[in-house]
Amino acid sequence: MTSGFSRREVMAIGGAVASSAALTPLAHARMMPQDMDRDVFAAACRELRAIVGDDWVFADEASTISYRKSGIPDLRGEHIPSGAVAPASVEQVQAILAVANRYRLPLWPISTGKNMGYGMATPASSGQMILDLKRMNRILDFDAELGTILVEPGVTYQQIHDYIEDNNLPYWIDVPTVGPIVSMMGNTLERGVGYTPYGDHFFMQCGMEVVLADGTVLKTGMGSIENGNTWQAFKWGYGPYLDGIFTQSNFGVVTKLGMWLMPRPPVYKPFMVRSPNVEDVAAITDTIRPFRMNNLIPNGVLIMGALYQMSMFNRRADLWDGEGVIPLDVIQRHARANDIGMWNTFYALYGTEEMIAAMEPILTGAFEATGADVLTAAEMRGNPYFEHNETLMRGGMTLEEKGLVRWWGRSGGAVAFAPVAPAKGAETIGQTELATEIMNKWGFDYAPAYAVGGRELHHIIFLMFDKGDDEHSAKAEQCMEEMITRFGERGWAAYRSSVSTMDLVAQQYGDANREVNARIKQALDPNHIIAPGKQGIA
Amino acid sequence: MRTRRSLGFGRSAALAVGLTLLAGAGLAAGLSGKANAQATYEIEPREPEYLYARTCGYCHGHNIAPIIRGRNLPPAVIESIVRSGMGAMPAFKPTEITNTELEALAEWLSQSEVDPEEHGG
Ligand SMILES: Cc1cc2nc3c(=O)[nH]c(=O)nc-3n(C[C@H](O)[C@H](O)[C@H](O)COP(=O)(O)OP(=O)(O)OC[C@H]3O[C@@H](n4cnc5c(N)ncnc54)[C@H](O)[C@@H]3O)c2cc1C
Repeated sequence: MTSGFSRREVMAIGGAVASSAALTPLAHARMMPQDMDRDVFAAACRELRAIVGDDWVFADEASTISYRKSGIPDLRGEHIPSGAVAPASVEQVQAILAVANRYRLPLWPISTGKNMGYGMATPASSGQMILDLKRMNRILDFDAELGTILVEPGVTYQQIHDYIEDNNLPYWIDVPTVGPIVSMMGNTLERGVGYTPYGDHFFMQCGMEVVLADGTVLKTGMGSIENGNTWQAFKWGYGPYLDGIFTQSNFGVVTKLGMWLMPRPPVYKPFMVRSPNVEDVAAITDTIRPFRMNNLIPNGVLIMGALYQMSMFNRRADLWDGEGVIPLDVIQRHARANDIGMWNTFYALYGTEEMIAAMEPILTGAFEATGADVLTAAEMRGNPYFEHNETLMRGGMTLEEKGLVRWWGRSGGAVAFAPVAPAKGAETIGQTELATEIMNKWGFDYAPAYAVGGRELHHIIFLMFDKGDDEHSAKAEQCMEEMITRFGERGWAAYRSSVSTMDLVAQQYGDANREVNARIKQALDPNHIIAPGKQGIA
Repeated sequence: MRTRRSLGFGRSAALAVGLTLLAGAGLAAGLSGKANAQATYEIEPREPEYLYARTCGYCHGHNIAPIIRGRNLPPAVIESIVRSGMGAMPAFKPTEITNTELEALAEWLSQSEVDPEEHGG
């Protein structure tokens, strides 16, 4: 493992940051909202300051630096915000939207802005102002009988984790692999996933409050019933179910979100299925599917590729300093040295000792029949790869997967592609072959994971590259485009997209879908001030 | 945040909201629907050790990012890196870690001792 940055390098970066503070965005026309004069932008900022206070409008080069950071390729500066505004209340959100409508100022809402692999806080097009909702960060309600929670946008999973511990509440949360610094709201609105039985986050969502572009405050589901108390208990409400249209969407600004939490089980037992060969992924998938469908395996299962796993704790140079992509036999050798296979599948059982004892042999037998080893803490305790997923499957806090962003070195760089497919073995083999072919052609290592929901799976491909090298970034961009396009030709489309490919993916979902989205957008936000370009919706 | 006074609403109101939250009555206040949601940490800054454990320490000293304790890194440089997000590190905004908190965190980190439990990077 590398030793980290030197003192001189630290000084250099500090100097660079300090010197950029002298510039203002008014000197960078491409950061400005499209078609907006600088003095108009300045006037809008003055009005925003009157709403949130001087400290919470960021509109110069130095103070917007945090909002510009992302790990995806952006060679042409297409995802640079003009500034940021951070309200502290729903009323302030309404007032900001009124200003935005008056000035035609596009606003890109974020909850914590840690949409890593997808563009972080950066907008779909340059010049949008980030509507940073992080200051609204209270847990508004926690019903200890129903196991429901109502949160504001800025609430992180760490905050909920701490709240549960501090109050000794008998519940677990379900986290994406980067829980401590990201939000329940941002993740759920992106329809993100986790790895306990509550891993499909939008499925576990119940009720939301949305501020529309015209300032209307909508509470979905049961939220608007006078004297009602069922908002977080019953999802569907009455009439058309609306929550879905505010996910992966630019139809409104979500200010409250209800979620269900999993009762803490008396016993939790994690398993790792170690498969030696690349092609084993098909048999593993076909073995998981029926158990996910009948719920004998209750949690979001991860089939982790060895290289994905090793990229957490290693830099590429630790494994390989030869020409081209890392050969399979080298990956296999390192995997073996770490006590892992080419694919390592993680599932868990939750319940009483008796329940687990009854189910364990059924599952172990089925996975062993694929030629894999089925391992438990008894064999794997202390192995960092086992411990990582052991933590995730009980909703624990970790950021270990952030390590993969450093694969090529210190500059970092990773962009995610996550096509979905039916959970069938032939699909995984097909996707793995296609991704390997395309990525290797462009000189990138294929470091995959499959997250198996019920009947479908998300293929999580992190394209790791060196963002410090423009040529490498350009290749990453082209490689990603080719993957999206060629997967699309096979009928495999992404469930979510980085800000750089939102339009490309939207095209694959067809004209009728785009047209309906456009009509809804026109009805709800006729000035197109909320996140234009989000998921390809202008 | 430059001064606590410039928070967009009166300091005493802010303090009142903060204290209610700290007293654990925040749930009822929130359910009134008037989400005058002032973050408690804008009023009661979190301690450097608390922030380090809940943010930095998941990567630094945990095999993912370089060890930064016990290295006398200059506070100004720490502040810059936190705000800009060096390399693979994400950037942390003033809405996540306030300027007051960051100043104290940088000072503490700069003077902190090596933690023998930390490793790798
Ligand atoms: C190594 C690594 C591992 C990861 N693992 C996972 C994983 O296991 N599961 C997973 O799901 N993701 C994963 N991610 C992706 C990502 O980091 C998380 O999904 C994260 O939760 C998203 O960031 P956030 O919560 O800060 O959301 P934000 O960045 O705040 O929001 C994301 C987007 O949602 C919209 N949005 C957010 N808030 C609002 C609002 N209030 N109103 C309207 N629109 C809004 C905006 O378009 C915004 O850009 C991973 C990333 C990396 C780099």
